[in-house]
Amino acid sequence: MRRLRIEVDLHRCVGSSICVLTAPRTFTLNTHGQSSVVDPEGDPLEVVLEAAEGCPTMAITVFDADTGEQLFP
Amino acid sequence: MLVQDDLLAPEVLRDPYTYFARLRQEAPVHWNDRWGGWLVTRYEDVVRAFRDPERLSSDRMAHFQRELTPHDRERLHVLIQYFSRWLVFTDPPYHTRVRMLVNKAFTPTSVERLRPRVRQIVHDLLAAAARRRHMEFVREFAFHLPVIVISEYLGVPPEDREAVKEWSDETSRIFFIRADDPDRRERSQAGLIRLLEYFEPLIHDRRRNPRDDLISALVQAEERGDLLSHDELLATCTVLLFAGHETTTNLLANGLLALLRHRDQWEMLRQDPSLTRSATEELLRYDGPVKATFRWARVDVELGGKTLRAGDRMLLVLASANRDPEKFPEPDRVDITRNPNPHVAFGHGIHVCLGAPLARVEAQEAFAALVQHFPHLRLAREDLEYHPTIVSRALVELPVEW
Repeated sequence: MRRLRIEVDLHRCVGSSICVLTAPRTFTLNTHGQSSVVDPEGDPLEVVLEAAEGCPTMAITVFDADTGEQLFP
Repeated sequence: MLVQDDLLAPEVLRDPYTYFARLRQEAPVHWNDRWGGWLVTRYEDVVRAFRDPERLSSDRMAHFQRELTPHDRERLHVLIQYFSRWLVFTDPPYHTRVRMLVNKAFTPTSVERLRPRVRQIVHDLLAAAARRRHMEFVREFAFHLPVIVISEYLGVPPEDREAVKEWSDETSRIFFIRADDPDRRERSQAGLIRLLEYFEPLIHDRRRNPRDDLISALVQAEERGDLLSHDELLATCTVLLFAGHETTTNLLANGLLALLRHRDQWEMLRQDPSLTRSATEELLRYDGPVKATFRWARVDVELGGKTLRAGDRMLLVLASANRDPEKFPEPDRVDITRNPNPHVAFGHGIHVCLGAPLARVEAQEAFAALVQHFPHLRLAREDLEYHPTIVSRALVELPVEW
């Protein structure tokens, strides 16, 4: 399985919760109500990409952890 | 010193920022006796409130109904029935379900596809004005762009646009609390009924002949049964149509005014179009379209050292949070290169504006085109007036010349 590296830009994250609702095994809300990655492989790749694309502020960047290739955006 | 509580006083309408700065200093969570609710003005408190939807409700209709006599509740039942399904006025779990359903259509990636068309509309509107040496920017540009964009995206035919805009404006009367509009509830319901009657056949048509538009997408969601009921579908069509109108108009007008009053920033943007995105964020922060948004305490809540009681209402003052010196260095300065710029002009948390990515595209295209095509644009009059409303920051007119 492809290993992912997921970054959340906390300057952009507005706590919409859309990533958490879309990929609940990958994202959670931290104590400040912002998105935080609990397990980069918690959900299938297409679900993680859907979560990243659903973010209203494009706060989520997804990379292939091995090759470094940027998968989203 | 006591802070005066008239949110519609002429000096507060003209310059709410000085008024809110004082509140932020002297009483950051302040009981406004005249309005009968709390004003929350510090960035930190506003964001904390936005992140607490379990205790701070958005269910406006629940509270609205409580204030009505049984007779009025009966008279306004259509309005109550549909507004209580509008995303902005709902709490989880309803809000979560419908938001997730429509979110896909409004992601930055989805609306980016609309950018070439938005650019075309901007150019057409400006070309029509360019033959003259002056225009009233609100009426001739800012008013039209959002209507055309959302109507096309939803699937409202061009010939119906004007009528739909008028009904939408009537519907909005109830929200933009004004000093001078006594029968606003009735007019709001009448406007909403016209919109519902309009969308009903359009929805039936898209059920038979799906197209590449938002109504068709929502109909398909309805047909998956558990996702959207027919009433929810109607409510969602009306709220999507309505929500982008006045707010985007005000974003465009307030943003242009700020650029014209800070000529160095105008020139900087003209010389470096790559600043368009950060400029749009800064204009949203500096003088955004919505001054404040409502919440209702479900239980007793501590905020900024005050105890808000269950049932209390509050205004989360975006216009104040965005000028909080604790969050933004030199908050009263317009700096189109400001970065990061975590403003709350679109709100924050689960209710963060659904249409924000689309509003951003419209504003970016408009500001970029204005500085390029009208390099000598200037204000034609200095004494500008604002509509007397608590929640929106709305110029009556913005006359410009070149």
